[in-house]
Amino acid sequence: MRRWAHRTHLAGLFLAAAALACQPTDRATPPPPPPPPTSPGGVAVTDDAGRRVTLSAPARRIVSLSPAVTELLFALGAGDWVVGRTTWCDYPPAARAVPSVGDGLNPNLEAVAARRPDLVILYRSALNETAAQQLARLGIAAAVVRQDRLEDLARAAGLVATLTGRGAAGASLARGIDSLLHAPAPPAPAAARRRVAFVVWDNPPMVIGGGSYLDELATLAGTENMFHDIPAASATVSLETIAARDPDVIAVLADSGAPAVPAWAARREWQVVRAVRERRFAVLGGSLFARPSPRAPQAVAALRRALAATR
Amino acid sequence: MRWLGLGVAAAAAFVLAVVVGPAHVPLANLMTSDIVRSLRLPRAILAFLVGGALALSGASLQALVRNPLADPFLLGLSGGAGLGAVLAIALRIGGPWALPLAAFAGALVAMGLVYRLGLVGGSALDPRVLILAGVAVGAFASAVTTAIVSLSEATQLRNAFLWLWGGLSGASWDTVLVACVYFPLPVLVLLAAARPLDVLALGEEPARHLGADVEPLKRRVYLAASLLTAAAVAVSGVIGFVGLVVPHAMRALWGHQHRPLLPAAFLGGGTLLALSDTVARTFVAPRELPVGIVTALVGVPVFALLLRRWTAS
Repeated sequence: MRRWAHRTHLAGLFLAAAALACQPTDRATPPPPPPPPTSPGGVAVTDDAGRRVTLSAPARRIVSLSPAVTELLFALGAGDWVVGRTTWCDYPPAARAVPSVGDGLNPNLEAVAARRPDLVILYRSALNETAAQQLARLGIAAAVVRQDRLEDLARAAGLVATLTGRGAAGASLARGIDSLLHAPAPPAPAAARRRVAFVVWDNPPMVIGGGSYLDELATLAGTENMFHDIPAASATVSLETIAARDPDVIAVLADSGAPAVPAWAARREWQVVRAVRERRFAVLGGSLFARPSPRAPQAVAALRRALAATR
Repeated sequence: MRWLGLGVAAAAAFVLAVVVGPAHVPLANLMTSDIVRSLRLPRAILAFLVGGALALSGASLQALVRNPLADPFLLGLSGGAGLGAVLAIALRIGGPWALPLAAFAGALVAMGLVYRLGLVGGSALDPRVLILAGVAVGAFASAVTTAIVSLSEATQLRNAFLWLWGGLSGASWDTVLVACVYFPLPVLVLLAAARPLDVLALGEEPARHLGADVEPLKRRVYLAASLLTAAAVAVSGVIGFVGLVVPHAMRALWGHQHRPLLPAAFLGGGTLLALSDTVARTFVAPRELPVGIVTALVGVPVFALLLRRWTAS
């Protein structure tokens, strides 16, 4: 009995994490109801969950429950109107001055409501869609935004810009992202063209797959993610497969100030991977690589530098 | 005949584990390939040892608490190991061996607490008290673990559960060496307890009348089974199902005498885990399944068949 209670509890945690990690497939949305008349100066959008969000005026007290949205809001010049953020919102530095309302995974609605927001923006997940409905019942407008990959970013920027009355800034940001995505990348220097495997956990070995932002960055940087063929954003793979695919460089994500070589590189089973044996690691630090953001061009450049810097 | 069958199954599972894998290694290069020598071979050996240890521990605990639902993790060890692993990450204890050592330490602390609670009020490891103590300690450890996970800002905590839920990805000659040094003593203690466990199965009072040293026996079996499980957690996380089902399956084939049952459980557990790990590595390659899922998927149908035979006879 206890074991089951324990397991199912862990399973709950896991599902929450998985819901965050996976990119939910678009399900058929019911035909939207006719848009209610907006008052003069009001704004109305359809969010990424297919819900109609209407505001009588552009939002001026915003709670952001996603680090990517927080960064986007500041980039759009709406940072002054952010009155609540998650514990994970660490960029730009000014965002840290905003009060935190929790970790944003399973929103504490009371803490959110206490900030008296006129708009709450949530990351798209099953849990958050429920939370958005609950907020709507409390009379608080809530929008759900998907921001898993670079192509989501332009649309998310348009949506958030409309809701905050920063249409012009949103349009220019979206153009910038589009040109990054579609402009032919300048040829990468030979050193940056090394084939890379992004290893995010060592036991069991987890790598970044083709459905991720990092994979897009790798392509833009002119290198090859060796696990591009896995459609998921990340996946557990066999160490044997990493050894057989033989990447030139192992890229690891780390907090700033992490050592240049991860601790697990000392474990014996990893020595079968050539890049580990030769200690060819690229440490990608900080929030730059953690989420799709207007800083994508910097992220591409930083990835190139990190790859070029490995021996 | 039964022994021969089990032996053949064990050998086949082992050979399969070495020959088959997600990376293509031609048969001719089997002995020279680095992937086989440094990864597959130690992993197959570790799978065998851990599976055997879990099944042996499960069989002994089922006899000790006289409850068919007992398995190696019933008595709070998984909760303690989880707390240890999460603490190691939350406190940013570094080093390549931090996680396994912390999980081992956590399991040992849980074992000590349950043992102490099992002696409360002179209850002398009464099975009911022992099970309740295990449940209580496990629940407490899980609660603390969850609190740490919800309050901490370390993004890696989620991955601690991946590790804890078990798998043999960490297998190397180092972990095989750890298992080879550590496992023999508790394994021998448990195998030596086979006869007295038969007597204990009659009930504590009858066993006492038959001249068995019931209290020291229970203490020995409890400590040996728990130490064995804690070490298995340290090298491979919490792998479910093997310790519950293999003992029952072997009982269906060998009966309730512990003299044949315990070694058969060891062999059977090793076979099941080596086989399951091969499936976990290859079935969705290049991805890998958690081995605990495979032990359940492979084991349950076999178990159901045995259960049918068992109840029919």
